[in-house]
Amino acid sequence: MRQDRIGFLFLTPALIAVVIFYLLPVVMTAVFAFTNMSTATGIRGGGYLVTEQTLRDLSGHGLTGATLSQLADAGYEVDTEGLAALAATFGDRLAGHIEAELGGESFATSRELERALRDLRAPELRITRDRKQAASLFQRSVLNIRHDTADALRDELTGAGIPGGDHDMIIEAAYTGWSWTMRNFELLLSLPSTARYALNTLIYVALTLVLFNVGLGLLLAIATFYLPKPSAAVFRAIWFMPRILPPVLYVLMWKWLMWDNGFLASALAPFGVERINWMLHSEYHAWVAIILINGVVGASFGMIIFASAIKAIPQTLLMAAEVDGATRWQQVRYVILPQMRWPILFVTAYQTLSLLASFEYILLSTGGGPGSATEVWAMAAFRTALNNYGGNLQYGMGATFALVLVIIGTVLSLLYLRFFNFQALLAKPRIER
Amino acid sequence: MTKTLLAATALCSVLAGAATAQTYDIRVWSGGSSAADSYRWEAIEMAADILEREAAIRGEEISINVEYMWEFGGWAEFKQAVTLAAEAGDAPEIVVTSHLDIAPWSQAGYIVPVEDYLDLDAWPLSDVYPNLMDIAAYGGVQWGVPQDAESRPFFFWREHMRAIGYTDEEIDALPEAVLNGEYTLQNVLEDATRAVEMGLVEEGMGFSPRVSNGPDFAQFYQSFGGEFYDAETGKLVLDRAAMTEFYQFFVDAVEAGVTSRTHIGTDWNEWYADVANGNAAMWHGGTWHYGRYIREGNEDFFGTIAFTLIPSGGGETGRANTITHPLVYLVTDQGDDELQGIAAQLVEIATEPRINTLHAIKSAHLAVAESQSIVPLYAQDPWADAATSVLLPHANSQPNHPDYGVYSEAMWSGLESAWTGVQTAEQAVAELEAELVTVLGDQLIVR
Repeated sequence: MRQDRIGFLFLTPALIAVVIFYLLPVVMTAVFAFTNMSTATGIRGGGYLVTEQTLRDLSGHGLTGATLSQLADAGYEVDTEGLAALAATFGDRLAGHIEAELGGESFATSRELERALRDLRAPELRITRDRKQAASLFQRSVLNIRHDTADALRDELTGAGIPGGDHDMIIEAAYTGWSWTMRNFELLLSLPSTARYALNTLIYVALTLVLFNVGLGLLLAIATFYLPKPSAAVFRAIWFMPRILPPVLYVLMWKWLMWDNGFLASALAPFGVERINWMLHSEYHAWVAIILINGVVGASFGMIIFASAIKAIPQTLLMAAEVDGATRWQQVRYVILPQMRWPILFVTAYQTLSLLASFEYILLSTGGGPGSATEVWAMAAFRTALNNYGGNLQYGMGATFALVLVIIGTVLSLLYLRFFNFQALLAKPRIER
Repeated sequence: MTKTLLAATALCSVLAGAATAQTYDIRVWSGGSSAADSYRWEAIEMAADILEREAAIRGEEISINVEYMWEFGGWAEFKQAVTLAAEAGDAPEIVVTSHLDIAPWSQAGYIVPVEDYLDLDAWPLSDVYPNLMDIAAYGGVQWGVPQDAESRPFFFWREHMRAIGYTDEEIDALPEAVLNGEYTLQNVLEDATRAVEMGLVEEGMGFSPRVSNGPDFAQFYQSFGGEFYDAETGKLVLDRAAMTEFYQFFVDAVEAGVTSRTHIGTDWNEWYADVANGNAAMWHGGTWHYGRYIREGNEDFFGTIAFTLIPSGGGETGRANTITHPLVYLVTDQGDDELQGIAAQLVEIATEPRINTLHAIKSAHLAVAESQSIVPLYAQDPWADAATSVLLPHANSQPNHPDYGVYSEAMWSGLESAWTGVQTAEQAVAELEAELVTVLGDQLIVR
């Protein structure tokens, strides 16, 4: 019992980190994914604002013409109610003056009424702020006034004489905040672009993983295993360089290599090869570039893990194989590879998840181009939720993209565990049973 | 003893003064800005000084502290910073940003209308170009005040045009010919092809467009008669024919060898160096690039470069045009009404012709108000003077609509696909239409 408690105590920092940095973001993503949240709706929730656009939308949704024109044309009225309020604030002299000059008149906008008030040249209204305050006392329109609650807008509508039956429809249209919706998922299923992002992601993850992160990693680990120790260390250190280089610099070097006035184009030009942008000339060029750029970074991770795993293989096994006359290839095939199952599981699972979520090298190199030929799912999530020149960021839709990634990642991890028979690794040794 | 008393009295009066002086803290955040745009916030500092002096004359003592921030990395980071700060209730009091932010930010309640605080009929706002004031309005409400104006013209390298066979008179008459629809985008293709064939420029450098997404490309859609917005219904418009012709123009340019298929994503510095030194025959860019040409070593802008509106695409619906994408001063819903009133007044003073001219000339932008043309600094600047008269009267803007961002991103995506040969122009437009109809629903009219 005590031991258990100490165990939990030691785990606490890790658990807190998992909750804050993993669970919480996942839960938030899941919540956001079921909303239409965007810059325009805000995050904290919205207010109630009847605008010109609300009226236009309402006219298409069956609000009666009478109510519509009542809402649209209310404007500003110089009536007894307003004059009384004015007298209370600015005194009877001004109220009398305005009643005499403007009494009974109506104005479409505050600006028109303010002009009329300015023309009166009343000393009380010489300052802009006072003129605006006076004009606001005559406002009978509910347009463009933001209310924090639905009830506040309802009171305003009642005050403006809008029939009670229409209130709900108006309030619904006037709501500026976000609401719960399944629409994002429908969009994901129906948009032509999402199918392409999915396919791109599959190509990107599968090829990088199989060819480089696991394939080349394994090859390098085995190759360096048979090298003399000092040269193996140098060789591994060289392969490790791309990983410790800042991504921006690393990709810049690829650009210098591959762009139309880069090294490759210049080196091939004397042989009559047309100068092209080797990174972006076609979608095939772009894919080769993307997989190389990611793969060269990714291979070093597998190399280190696999190399350590090979070192852990008891020397006696290899010596025995040598004595039995096994060739190098046979050693690799029958001694080394069978012992690499768990490291391969680990590297495959870890790198799948990391490739699924990573797009920084793509963003920096091809930018998802040419066209959107190399745009992957995670990048679409980023662009939708956080990068829009026009300014209206689609948080809800971006979260839906991200949520799908979380689900795919979880499912894939479970599949890997099953496929590599992870249970067997965790099972107690037979001797302890 | 007397000394101590005096000191105490002095201290008391200072403290009393400090106690009665009303202090306002105003933060200005400026998006998309470089050091050359410093008057976006320095104008607010100047305005604060003037407002304090005016108050002092009226016998009120106010003190305004202006803090500013402009290094955000890029537009995306700036917009994230402002919206997150606003959500956290800690937004800067004044922001300088794209007019396209007005629609989403007003709906979200991040900003307050300047018309609630300022008399739009009084100087200096009455002097601001009405079309620019409209660009800072949305839904019939004046949300902001234009901070600067610019435009995105089409440029020709004079020497190459002469080599193709144009006389100096013909080159000087290009702005007129473009405006009247006599010189069209088809002529651009022909002349650019000739420049490449004659070896004046390398292949792919006959016509060198902007290297990344931006409002510039919307101009080419307009060249073919495309419209973005239907004022009657307040909905966005997708004109299939115009969009297809616009995409096709870039496809044709690639096929003719005058534009590089892999042009998108070219390094900006490389592009500036090319267009400023005659490595491209034609290109399009921003009026504010003017300062950059000099830094790239081109001392004789007017002697080497001619500029016009973006030519029409031809046909009956085509029209020469240019888009202005002004930044605007917006006042956020931060602090109380009084603070917002002060912020709005600072914006108003910063818009006065002399102050705004400092920004216009320092950053090679255009004037926002008519009377700036008689401010000596402006009138004596050859570029401001020429660009204002040739371009600004014909400039329109992209629509303030909450969904325009989605539209413009999708439009760019389609252009990229067609330009790079991943899809044909027709396929790209069909996909664009499918995408926009699904996402925007009844907020879109397809023509």
